[in-house]
Amino acid sequence: MSVSLILIPAALAAAAVIQARAGGGGGASTVCTVSTRMRDSVLLSAALRETGAVVTAGDDVVDAAWQGVESRFTRGADGIWTAHFRGDVDESRAVEIVRRLDVAYGRQVQAAVVERLRDRALAAGLRLESETVADDAAVRLVFAVEREDRA
Amino acid sequence: MTRRETVTVVVAADGTVTAETHGVHGRACIDYIAVLEDLLDATTVSSAWTPDYHHARTRVETTATEAVPDVDRA
Repeated sequence: MSVSLILIPAALAAAAVIQARAGGGGGASTVCTVSTRMRDSVLLSAALRETGAVVTAGDDVVDAAWQGVESRFTRGADGIWTAHFRGDVDESRAVEIVRRLDVAYGRQVQAAVVERLRDRALAAGLRLESETVADDAAVRLVFAVEREDRA
Repeated sequence: MTRRETVTVVVAADGTVTAETHGVHGRACIDYIAVLEDLLDATTVSSAWTPDYHHARTRVETTATEAVPDVDRA
């Protein structure tokens, strides 16, 4: 079984859309589109590893393998990723994998943003006073303003 | 007595970022929109004054979706 997904950044899509585009007639190949926020190959690779995949990554091609399923993510010149799944996978499972991947990608985004804030805030005149994690896993950072001429 | 100025940033599990300033006078808090956009390489998608804007408080919302591709991991 082989399934291809076209991953559209959420910023380009008004809402999550899953849409079969071509059945191929033979039933062995399906192409569908899935809205996602994924754009960065490094974060994509980290998210794939979070889902248990073994990952081989390049700038515009990322290969991932799970138990019985392999996928190749390819980024086109327009920045849109296409994911092609092979193995013990049908369309619904492929979409479900991408959904889980999107959630994992969000967590990677969160970690990258928090790290960036920790690293760069002081240079911007903001001193980190506290960092807490809420029940919904949101990270709350409170910064004291160090330089009065900043505001 | 000097007013204490703070910026609270909340990064949600989906990467969305919201920020709120406290103790910053009036429109001066707009400067922090630029500071946060610069810090995150993000674009602000919405912002709104809180009801006590005249008491120097504002709220800024931005999105990490736009920030991620430019995160410097070097």
